[in-house]
Amino acid sequence: MATVPFLLLIEDDDAIRTALELSLSRQGHRVATAASGEDGLLLLKEQRPDLVVLDVMLPGIDGFEVCRRIRRTDQLPIILLTARSDDIDVVVGLESGADDYVVKPVQGRVLDARIRAVLRRGERESTDSATFGSLVIDRAAMTVTKNGLDLQLTPTELRLLLELSRRPGQALSRQQLLRLVWEHDYLGDSRLVDACVQRLRAKVEDVPSSPTLIRTVRGVGYRLDVPA
Amino acid sequence: MTKGNKGVLARLRLSSLRLRLVVVFALVALTAAVSASGIAYWLNREAVLKRTQDSSLNAFRQEMQNRVATLPLRPTQEDLRRTSEEMTAGGGGYQVLLLGERAAGKPIVGASDPDVFTLADVPVALREAVDTRRPVTDANPYAYHLFWQRTERGGTPYLVGGTRIDGGGPAGYMFKSLAAERADLNSLAWSLGIATGLAVIGSVLLAQVAASTVLRPVRRLGEAARQLGEGKLDTRLRVTGADELSDLSRTFNSAAENLQKKVADMSAREESSRRFVADMSHELRTPLTALTAVTEVLEDEQDSLDPMIAPAVALVVSETRRLNDLVENLMEVTRFDAGTARLVLDEVDIADQITACIDARAWLDAVDLDAERGIVVPLDPRRLDVILANLIGNALKHGGSPVRVSVHTDDHELVITVRDHGPGIPEEVLPHVFDRFYKASAQRPRSDGSGLGLSIAMENALIHGGTISAANSVGADGAVDGAVFTLRLPRDASAADRTGDTGPRPGEGVDE
Repeated sequence: MATVPFLLLIEDDDAIRTALELSLSRQGHRVATAASGEDGLLLLKEQRPDLVVLDVMLPGIDGFEVCRRIRRTDQLPIILLTARSDDIDVVVGLESGADDYVVKPVQGRVLDARIRAVLRRGERESTDSATFGSLVIDRAAMTVTKNGLDLQLTPTELRLLLELSRRPGQALSRQQLLRLVWEHDYLGDSRLVDACVQRLRAKVEDVPSSPTLIRTVRGVGYRLDVPA
Repeated sequence: MTKGNKGVLARLRLSSLRLRLVVVFALVALTAAVSASGIAYWLNREAVLKRTQDSSLNAFRQEMQNRVATLPLRPTQEDLRRTSEEMTAGGGGYQVLLLGERAAGKPIVGASDPDVFTLADVPVALREAVDTRRPVTDANPYAYHLFWQRTERGGTPYLVGGTRIDGGGPAGYMFKSLAAERADLNSLAWSLGIATGLAVIGSVLLAQVAASTVLRPVRRLGEAARQLGEGKLDTRLRVTGADELSDLSRTFNSAAENLQKKVADMSAREESSRRFVADMSHELRTPLTALTAVTEVLEDEQDSLDPMIAPAVALVVSETRRLNDLVENLMEVTRFDAGTARLVLDEVDIADQITACIDARAWLDAVDLDAERGIVVPLDPRRLDVILANLIGNALKHGGSPVRVSVHTDDHELVITVRDHGPGIPEEVLPHVFDRFYKASAQRPRSDGSGLGLSIAMENALIHGGTISAANSVGADGAVDGAVFTLRLPRDASAADRTGDTGPRPGEGVDE
């Protein structure tokens, strides 16, 4: 990456905030920190970071609410810091619009790897474009339009759409998508895929509850259909 | 056991009590009825026979005095026959036989009807008694007495009586059929028998009613006890009346109440200690998160540190990791204990998953994998990884290379066996290998492992609806040549995940 990634870390515990700042700085990131959700949202507007690392348990407005408020205006990547992987927190966090999550206590290297993976999703890789009915995916400009209107997709949603559109009509398993989009190892959480597909459908489908583009293939995963 | 089965068994068991009650009631009724009927019959019989007998004998005596005493001392046979006919015609309902002597030593017999009554019908003992002359004293004014005997001829009862006229007159015998009396007595016996039968039937019916009134509360009590046993500790019986069964119900209620209170107390205590462990490990996590984040910074700098300080840093780094694992395991255990652990299911290729698990821990060289690709089972990949890592890690640590992992499937189950070639597990340890903090032996280094690994592996198998078993493998020479852990998971773990909070998967919507 040409420029140094600029992160916003929102974490209320001083020790964790300091330690993660230290660790992430050493991994080559520029880090701004906030001790509460309110401060974080303020900083977000002022400093325009590339990515937010967000603790779930925050005093005042909690991580989910911060996540939802960010998503109202911005599509920048959000990584959640959560207490446990099988918790309802993860589901709620993903539904609030988070791109990925890490479980505390997290090693600096793991967090760094996730951050870089999320940031890579926004990179363009080819120059062609594809059309699926009213949906136009411009891989050169990294934009998606529906009926001529620009869709606001997060880098993760965009990458998921790109991966699906690269193999139209072919079903991809959740584990495949986790590797392709999230760059997760074999223990990837399939709920990431499901939540992201839900959000993507809400944006690209005419009727999100009865999708015609991104179809579920039961027992396998998802595929993107070319409309007849 | 099915519910129907249970019902039949309960009825059988209860009916044995019912049977006993019925039998006892019937026996009591039978005894009472039989003894009452017996006494009644016997008294009646005596009364009837005595009346008949007395009237016949009195009539006979009268006839003897009236007719026989007037006969000449040496009557002719014709006299005797005629007199006996006259006596019979007197209306006593009996036959008469007169026995006289025409001359000394020349007996003659006159019978009213020789076809019915002959001398042969008179028992010898009676004849002797009649012929015996008794000395006349103050107490005994007559030399000859009237004797009688009941006898039977051809199945018909008869009364035979006889006497002799004082002063050497002929001896007379009377012969009366008691068939009518017998018929009366027989019909009486029949009536009494029928009454006895009715009494027994009545008692059986009464016993049924009594059994029902006793057994209904007993059945209710049994049902309540069963519910209590099934854990419905708020089961109570409605208490009515003040009989023994009500007392029992009251006792049951108070026992259930005490039990409920005790269990509530205990579970509250357990809950609070569990909450304490959960809270504590949660609290430990915050400083650990900070520590973990900076240990890498320390680790990276280790080479450039003062050689005196470097080992201290290395120690801090390694022990932080261990603390991390320990707290992680502790939290996992508390989640299982609290029942908040959830499955996150995904379709997983087992061979890929095992390979990845082994690869991620750099065990590829030490583990043989015997698994075909393409076995795809819905399960929680993270939990399967925990199970495999613990089983394989344990085999590598305590067993010995080569560790062999093989995968089999049938229609219902996925079976993964992990076999090592170590010394095996001592027999006394086998039942405890899945216990928490159970160390196989004091000599074993406890540097690695929290003592929770295998128990967590087991919990992770159980939450899938599966299980893990441990055994020793015995070689051809009969000696133990390694330990075998067998993981069995249902092919459809989603059935075990009914409590899951994930609900319907987002994405598995209404399409297709």
